[in-house]
Amino acid sequence: MASLAATSVFLPGRTRSVSLHGQGMAGASQIRLASFTHQRRSTFFPGQASAPRFESPAKPETVEKVCAIVKKQLALASEVVVTGESEFTKLGADSLDTVEIVMGLEEEFGINVEEDNAQRITTVQEAADMIEKLVSKGSA
Amino acid sequence: MFFRGPMSIQSDIFSRRLLVPRPLAKMPLPSSRETHLWYVLPDEVKSPLLLNQYLELLSPTERDNALRMNGDNLQKGALLSRTLLRTTLARYTDHKASPRSLEFVINRFGKPEVQWPCDGNWIPPPLHFNVSHTSSLIACAVTADIPIGLDVLEKHRQLKSNILSFARRYFAPSEVEFLSSFTDPETRRREFLKLWTLKEAYVKALGRGFSGAPFRHFAIQFKAGATEESTDPNSDVHPEIALSIEPSGDAQLLTADWQFALFELASSHHAAICVKKSGEMNDPTTGEDPLRLKVWKVVPSVSEEFVSGTDQVLTINGILNSQG
Repeated sequence: MASLAATSVFLPGRTRSVSLHGQGMAGASQIRLASFTHQRRSTFFPGQASAPRFESPAKPETVEKVCAIVKKQLALASEVVVTGESEFTKLGADSLDTVEIVMGLEEEFGINVEEDNAQRITTVQEAADMIEKLVSKGSA
Repeated sequence: MFFRGPMSIQSDIFSRRLLVPRPLAKMPLPSSRETHLWYVLPDEVKSPLLLNQYLELLSPTERDNALRMNGDNLQKGALLSRTLLRTTLARYTDHKASPRSLEFVINRFGKPEVQWPCDGNWIPPPLHFNVSHTSSLIACAVTADIPIGLDVLEKHRQLKSNILSFARRYFAPSEVEFLSSFTDPETRRREFLKLWTLKEAYVKALGRGFSGAPFRHFAIQFKAGATEESTDPNSDVHPEIALSIEPSGDAQLLTADWQFALFELASSHHAAICVKKSGEMNDPTTGEDPLRLKVWKVVPSVSEEFVSGTDQVLTINGILNSQG
């Protein structure tokens, strides 16, 4: 599995701006990633309600695991940088990919994701947040 | 500009010759209950000059969205997707609207619609449209009077998950049973993809988003057609596609009065379309009017080729009549 070279600066509950540093990754400069702000672009894709806001952000390890699952599902080249702010659709995921990713997350974390919630996840961070919420519920 | 790339002298000359701007040819509206399908193959659009011209047609938001896609190919796909939609719809407006002037809104369920300019002298065409794309094909379906959903998938697409686990998790029971009946993994994969595209097309036709129509709440089945005596593989009759709503489904939202067709497109994709049946077809068991479909392959503003009746459009299920 690819390891993350990018540093994601996450400010809980506020704007999420991420600048990506392709440290030590040969060829990373080929990928142009604009800085992401937390602004839902639902122009083209039906059914995207606003994101569920979870209490606390997920641990970096969870985010990393999600990134790994996403990269595997989308067969992304190892130099492609995926972070918490990465949107699935921007990475080229279609609806079948998204469902497969959710199923992969369910298997990895031993959780059950309602179809409603599955459709609302659009970024890696949202997936990670939801996972941790479900995991903590499950173990309560 | 933003599209850079190696460009040999030859391709530059070639692309310059192609790029004398051609006004988009007008297109008469689809006739009643007819679908027009337009598609572009990204691999056939290489000229950075042409791509930059397309960029000019997009709204600032669309441009921004396209450029935020991760990587050149995805950016190009997003660009071509909006370009195909804008150039295609504009052609049906009798030169009243240009590709760039079209405005789109998202309806309250998240489905994109055209917001026609208010012009007292002109009644805009009652166009319905739906777009779908893969990394290698971008398609846009247009009708004049009926809601439509479209989905395309590369026919060789592999799944990472176990198909039956996936189906048990997300599909209706009868579909799980159907997929379980295939022991050959390749056949099962192919049938799974057929079901997936048809289900996607239905949800997109409904236009209420996926949470409005969970896959588990409706089932697609393939039924032998009315003239099932024909076992000739060259016959035009193919198993019909039947839709049923599960008891768990919301019968108000998930209606069964939709007609489907599934076909192979450009030798590389499965395409499914779903259109609303007219009120006159009361008895679904006595056979339906053929789904009328016309298909063009295009390079927007540059070339077009009518491909219905060729091997680029091959019926798999449902009935297609390309003569319209």
